[in-house]
Amino acid sequence: MKLARRKRNMALITMTPLVDVMMILLVFFMVTSTYLDLDMMPMVQSEAEGVAAPSGPTPTLLIRIAASGEARMRGRPLTAQTLATALQAQPRARVLILPSGGANVQGLVSAIETATKAGAENLRVVRLEASE
Amino acid sequence: MKLKRRSQPPPQETIVSLIDVIFFLLVFFMLVGRMDATAPFEVSPPVSTAGESLPKGGTTIAVADNGALALDGEAIERPALLARIAELLAAKPHLFVRINAHGEARLTNLLPLVTALEQAGVGDVVLVVTPNPA
Repeated sequence: MKLARRKRNMALITMTPLVDVMMILLVFFMVTSTYLDLDMMPMVQSEAEGVAAPSGPTPTLLIRIAASGEARMRGRPLTAQTLATALQAQPRARVLILPSGGANVQGLVSAIETATKAGAENLRVVRLEASE
Repeated sequence: MKLKRRSQPPPQETIVSLIDVIFFLLVFFMLVGRMDATAPFEVSPPVSTAGESLPKGGTTIAVADNGALALDGEAIERPALLARIAELLAAKPHLFVRINAHGEARLTNLLPLVTALEQAGVGDVVLVVTPNPA
């Protein structure tokens, strides 16, 4: 006597563990990623070295940053307006920022921002050497 | 006459669509996120709307408000940092260095470092700023 073997249903591929794996990956990327909206300001640019310095003396506008973080130009508090006016009078002027070592990074960044908004193109920060 | 309704097996929940949703979320977070090593101290970058968009990649130096330094997420002293930068520079001459300084950090902790990096031969140093305060 031949017994017919009962045909078994094909085993379904279980999708549930896949969801688990996906979930773990998802949580991993959510936790390890940072979602800060960050910008940058160039401090050293190698391309800038190639720019030939204009011949003849260049007028210079000096911005000082006090230890409190306040920026002053020609003894007055720096605003984009006053700097833009000064740059109109001397279009080829370079803008030099002389920060006090006691000022904080925010003070420097604010001064650079003001100068950029006033349209300063030739902008440099005087970097003090470490006094150790 | 009462007809007995045949009891149906409960419909299987379609797990497949759930996988799709999670997969989309996964791809979304992978694209939006930035995989940076976070510094071992608190760093909130200075606020400025005049910044340019920050490219990905490169080496990150973090500067805390008390002057502590970290290179790619690991606390490091200044001489060791400069030695490490020199090593990286030897391997990759066009090194891109991002300085993620705390907004309250003093410039005496930042500007000499930038000078040292420039003297070491790093041609591309940027300061990280954020367009909107946290």
